[in-house]
Amino acid sequence: MEEGFNAYRQSLESEEQSIKSTQSVVEQAIAWFRAHSMFVLAYGTGCGAIEMPPTFTSRYDIERLGVVGVATPRQADILIVSGYCSPKTLKRVIRSYEQMSDPKYIIGLGSCTINGGMYWDSYNTIKKLDDFLPVDMYVNGCMPRPEALIEGFVKLQEKIRLNSSEAGYIKYRDNYAHYRANQERLFGAQVAPSYEENFAGMN
Amino acid sequence: MQNLMQHFEIIQKTPTLYALHVSIETLFNTLHHLRYQSDFITLSQLTCTDWIEEERFELGYMLTNLERNCNLMVKCFIGRDDVTVASVVTLFPQAEVMERELHEMFGVGFEGNDTLYDFALEDWQDLPPMRREFDTLAYVQSHYDFRDGRDDNLDVKEQIKIRKAAAKSAKEAQGGA
Ligand code: SF4
Repeated sequence: MEEGFNAYRQSLESEEQSIKSTQSVVEQAIAWFRAHSMFVLAYGTGCGAIEMPPTFTSRYDIERLGVVGVATPRQADILIVSGYCSPKTLKRVIRSYEQMSDPKYIIGLGSCTINGGMYWDSYNTIKKLDDFLPVDMYVNGCMPRPEALIEGFVKLQEKIRLNSSEAGYIKYRDNYAHYRANQERLFGAQVAPSYEENFAGMN
Repeated sequence: MQNLMQHFEIIQKTPTLYALHVSIETLFNTLHHLRYQSDFITLSQLTCTDWIEEERFELGYMLTNLERNCNLMVKCFIGRDDVTVASVVTLFPQAEVMERELHEMFGVGFEGNDTLYDFALEDWQDLPPMRREFDTLAYVQSHYDFRDGRDDNLDVKEQIKIRKAAAKSAKEAQGGA
């Protein structure tokens, strides 16, 4: 068993092989482009958002990975839910997510998105983000450092390149009833209009 | 301040903090006096304390003076249920949002403030959550799902102690060898 750089290179190569064996050249190219142009919606919830400015600016400079911030959900590919989410915020988050165009991915940043974190007994924050939205990548920590977030992005790039049907937006489309039921249960009468008709003509 | 102390029963708490207790009837007039006849021009905080055992709330208006070297806390006891206090928006415009928050968190009414609708909580049906009879844990358990693995609730303090002691003794053993 090799160690260090060689092992890393070999693992990359074997992954490359598996990608090559399952995807056509065009698919590979599209997946490669996708993985290297991730546009992030410049939006933050919770305290984890404070780690995003250093990630995006010169110190950690995530733009070298092709990650850029954009101002509107229509242009974005990635939504970072950066911490605790109150029901009020979650309504806006869901709306933003539904406005984004496919393919789109969600990164859950911080313990709060995973299991409630230190707000596990708060009356005004949700405890499991993936009940309501399909999360592609969780980055744990309270709060995660930019290195962790970058690691999350790199893992997400790998996931995108594999082009699997596990991607969040496909899950959201296929299991919309499940997500919708959870949203309705939390928001009651104030739930946003159903998104289902927008799936017509897809698949 | 010396002048004020002759007219009001002001207690000095620290060199820069004073406290004054007033009744609900004289609350607005006192604040009006402090705002216009004295130099307490800033309302920096508006707080509410729930003394559930004594069945009352305590409102606290934290005023700061022009030179910014003196704070005066004007306190007032009010009932817990269906109370309405005169709003001080006309004296301190910033009170609008503070009163709105207290209305949402404690259910205190403010007469003359017309922004007392949803603030941080949207469509809240339950008791105002900062009242002490509101059972937060029961509310959370009935409204949210927890992820498995959070429920073991182990007391990790003991474990940490044991681990630290083990590390220490290992270090000592190494040092001795
Ligand atoms: S995980 Fe920690 S840093 Fe992140 S939002 Fe929650 S409390 Fe804040």
